[in-house]
Amino acid sequence: MLAKWKLREVIVLSVLAVVFAVVYLLFVQLGNVLFGLFGLIGYDIIFGIWFIVSIIAAYIIRKPGAAFLSETVAATVEVMLGNAVGPQLILSGMIQGLGAEAVFAATKWKNYSTWVLMAAGMGSSVFSFAWGFYVSGFAALSPGYVTAMFFVRLVSGALLAGLLGKYLSEGLARTGALNSFPLGKEHKRNVTV
Amino acid sequence: MSLHEVNPSVKAFAVVISILILSVFFDPITPLVTILWVVTVTFIFGRVSFKKWLLLFAPFLFIAIIYVWSTMLFPRLQAGDSVIWEWGFLTLTAEGFQRGVSLGLRVLSFATLSIMFTLTTKPTDFLLSLMQQCKLPPKLAYGIMAGYRFLPLIKEEFQTLQNAHRVRGVARARTIPEKVQQLKRYVIPLLAGAIRKAERTALAMESKGFTGEKNRIFYREITVSRIDWLFFILMISAVILSAFISWKLGYLQYYNREL
Repeated sequence: MLAKWKLREVIVLSVLAVVFAVVYLLFVQLGNVLFGLFGLIGYDIIFGIWFIVSIIAAYIIRKPGAAFLSETVAATVEVMLGNAVGPQLILSGMIQGLGAEAVFAATKWKNYSTWVLMAAGMGSSVFSFAWGFYVSGFAALSPGYVTAMFFVRLVSGALLAGLLGKYLSEGLARTGALNSFPLGKEHKRNVTV
Repeated sequence: MSLHEVNPSVKAFAVVISILILSVFFDPITPLVTILWVVTVTFIFGRVSFKKWLLLFAPFLFIAIIYVWSTMLFPRLQAGDSVIWEWGFLTLTAEGFQRGVSLGLRVLSFATLSIMFTLTTKPTDFLLSLMQQCKLPPKLAYGIMAGYRFLPLIKEEFQTLQNAHRVRGVARARTIPEKVQQLKRYVIPLLAGAIRKAERTALAMESKGFTGEKNRIFYREITVSRIDWLFFILMISAVILSAFISWKLGYLQYYNREL
C-alpha cells in the first residue's frame, strides 16, 4: 500500500496521526463526562471526533489508504501513550479507518467534495457501531435505545469528522503549509484564479 | 519470567485474542474469573506498583457502573423476565440486572488486560516489535517514531503561542463561544507547524540515506522466544478455562442468544 507513497507523505500522515492521538485521548475524558451525564449515548454525541484524522489525512494527501492508515496509526500511538488503552484499540482504529476508506474507495479516490467527506465520517460511524455492537454487547440494551445511539453516532460522524475535518484542513491550506499536497495546490489554484 | 520481557507483539496479540474470546460469552462469571487471573499475573509477573495500577483502573470502575446503570434503565425486556422492582417507567428485572453486571464486568476484564499491557511495555519496543515481527513498513514505523518525538516540541510551541497571545493582549476565554474561538487560534498554527516540521524531517531522513526498504538490519533486535509463546498459550487457556468454570457453574451464555 505504501510503495507508491513519498516519504514526505508518510511522515506527514504519521505526524497528523500523532497529534490527533493526543486529541483523541483528551476527548475520552470529555466522553466520560458526557457518559456520566447521559449514559451510553453520551459517547455517541462526540463519537465523530474519533474519526477526524481519517478525513483530514484523506482530504490532504488524497491517496488510497490515507484514511485507513492514519486512523490505524492514531490508534497505535494512543496505545503507545499508554493511558490504559490496550492494543485492542488498534483493531478499533483499523475498523473505523476502513469505514471511511470504503467511502473514498467507492469514489475511486477521486471525489473529495463536502458530501463525500461527510459520507466518509458516516462510513466510520457504521463500521465502528457494528464493531461496538459485538464487543461492547449493545444487544443487551433495548432496541429503541440502540437505534437512537446509532443515529446520534451517524450524525456525529458526518458533522464532527466530515465537516469539522474539512474545515480544519482548509484552515491549514490557507496557511500555506500544504502547498506541496493536493489540497494545498487546489487551494492555490482557487486563490489565483 | 517477567512481563516486561515478553515480546510486545506477542503480548498485544494475547490481549486482543483474549478480548475477542471474552466477547463471545455473555455472563458474569467468565469475565470475573479472567479479571482475577489477569490481576494476579500483572502483580506477580509484572511487578507493577499498585498505586499506578489503581490510577488507571479507577476510571473503568466508573464506566462499568454506568454500563450497569444504562443496561438496567434501558433493558431489553423479554417475555418471561422476572420483575424485581418497578417504579414509573423504570423496570428492573433479574435478567436485566444480570446482563448489566455481565457488561460491567466485561468492561473491567478488558481494562485489566489493557493495563497489564500498557504498564509492562515500552512504547518504542512495541513499535520496533511491530516492525520486526508484524511487517509494519519501516517507512511508517520510523514516521511514527519521528511524530512521537514531536509531541514535546508541539507542547513547547503551544506554550510559546500562549505567551505570544498574552503579550498581544488577547483576553482569557470565558464563555464557550470564546473558548471555541481560542481553540481555533491554537489548532491551525500548531498543525501547520507540525506539518512543516514533518516535511523537513522527511527531507533530512532521505538525505541521510533512508529509503524505507524492507530488507534492512536493526540496531536493536526484538526476538520471539519459547517463553513468549508459553505466555501466549497461558493467557488464552486462562480465558477458555474461565468460560469452562462458568459453564460448570451453569452461568455460561453465548452472545448469540441475545441477538
